[in-house]
Amino acid sequence: MKTHLTLLLAAVLTTGCLLATPVKAVDPHAVTQLWAMRHADQRPWHGNYYYMPYGHPTAVVVPPTAHMRQTYSWGVSQNLSYPLTHQYGRNASYPGALPPGSFLPTPAWPSHTDQFGLYYVRAPW
Amino acid sequence: MPILRLLITGTILSTALGASLAEAAGPLARHLQGGAVGGGGEYVVSSQVISDEVVGGTTEFVGDIASGNVVGGIPRTYGYPDLFYNNYTQGSANATNAQMYVSPVPTPPFVGHTFITYQPFLPEEMLYWHTNRYHNYYDGGRGMNHTKIHYYGPPVRTGVSNLYWNYLRIPR
Repeated sequence: MKTHLTLLLAAVLTTGCLLATPVKAVDPHAVTQLWAMRHADQRPWHGNYYYMPYGHPTAVVVPPTAHMRQTYSWGVSQNLSYPLTHQYGRNASYPGALPPGSFLPTPAWPSHTDQFGLYYVRAPW
Repeated sequence: MPILRLLITGTILSTALGASLAEAAGPLARHLQGGAVGGGGEYVVSSQVISDEVVGGTTEFVGDIASGNVVGGIPRTYGYPDLFYNNYTQGSANATNAQMYVSPVPTPPFVGHTFITYQPFLPEEMLYWHTNRYHNYYDGGRGMNHTKIHYYGPPVRTGVSNLYWNYLRIPR
């Protein structure tokens, strides 16, 4: 009887430990976030083109869980995927918006998705 | 993109030290405390005069803001964190930066803005499944409002919606 009780207690304790283990401990030290932050710090979030209705390169808010963006090109066909590391933050950044004419307009015959001046930026957590 | 639903599980309203508004002047404060001035055994740590009444000014219309719209008290303050704060693109390699609001397309300043002042309803929170907690201090730090929210999307409905919008819909 005592052995049974001990076994039962051990089983309950083990189950409790297993249930209490956080499932989301994939990246406990947020290393990938650090990678993304450093990656984004060395590259601009925008391309060389402005969004025609607005006059500036325009950021499109995407979920913070998004990982990759895909670009398409036609004419000379191309299909590339890039990591999506830029994320909005609370710090007011410098410089602000540049004066008009700092970027290229969308060509009359666009051949790449980056030429439309819309670029993804992840929303904050 | 699935439309996430909002589920407010509980709002815990806790007030420290009974949050007695005793000794506060003004009809609003008197109305709030319901005539229970003082209260046996309670004591006021700090008291301040809070008034929303417009005092002075040139006109007598309701809601007019005179210069120094609160006289004889402290100005109306907003809790911590801020009532609204914009987010900006980060990074040292940017030639230009963008602000997140007004989203998705920013407008020139003369167009005007709409601010979402209740943080649990901020649209960027509805973009992914998560749980968030919000704290708000009021009454000079004597009370704290605590809201815990689960943002989620119903899986079956989201799956059916994705099936339709990504595969079945005729693109046009």
